[in-house]
Amino acid sequence: MGILEDKGRARLFYKYLSKVYDQVNPFIWNEEMRAEALALLDIEQGDRVLDVGCGTGFGTEGLLQHTDNVHGIDQSIHQMQKAFQKFGKRDKVRFYRGDAERLPFKDDSFDVIWSSGSIEYWPNPVDALEEFRRVVKPGNEVLVVGPNYPKTTVMQKVADSIMLFYDEEEADRMFEEAGFEDIEHVMMGPSYDPDIAITTVARAPEK
Amino acid sequence: MKESLMDILCDPLDKSDLELEVDERDDDEILEGRLIGTETGEVYPIEDGIPNLLPPDMRDD
Repeated sequence: MGILEDKGRARLFYKYLSKVYDQVNPFIWNEEMRAEALALLDIEQGDRVLDVGCGTGFGTEGLLQHTDNVHGIDQSIHQMQKAFQKFGKRDKVRFYRGDAERLPFKDDSFDVIWSSGSIEYWPNPVDALEEFRRVVKPGNEVLVVGPNYPKTTVMQKVADSIMLFYDEEEADRMFEEAGFEDIEHVMMGPSYDPDIAITTVARAPEK
Repeated sequence: MKESLMDILCDPLDKSDLELEVDERDDDEILEGRLIGTETGEVYPIEDGIPNLLPPDMRDD
């Protein structure tokens, strides 16, 4: 288990990371990548969309370009303070504190579920993905962006000790185990590192 | 949180219904209060309009 997969440590880490996160973040996940990921989904105005692990609100900001019914959930209030500054606390976005693996939403509550830069901190990613499948409407899509597994041995060692990284094969396994269908992956990244992120779109089965 | 969100919220532990108790509201916006699991009895506070639906084992600050 990576050191950040312990949720207490993840919270402490994020308390400090939140101070610099949006400055650091564009190196691995920028506006171009976000737009590319959003284009994979079919979000219509008025769709109710959930951003899991919304953090400082970078993904949330992109989702708001497509619908005005965006809900953000995160375990860390420190991360969300940044999002509150951007969108207001009770204005454009509905915010909740909660756990990705135990979502506080009823079955079939959302038209789309989005999660960018959060899966690497979930101790049990399949549990969270099962929750996504439960909470998204049957036949609808979820999108998850996470770090692609590095190709060099040194970076793999770093990756394994810090957090979850995964490749297409592992993503297939996780999404299949969670009960998804039509699982597709797109590698994304800036020109100097074009496959640093793995974006997965998958569909919940019709009931 | 908006009161209408009660339509989609549930207890994160067992997905049962929640009961809303309001201490302070501004129209349909609940500012202070709590959500209580109808089966678990777990209390989830609403603080400055943000419902804290973290399971009890994850709350520490």
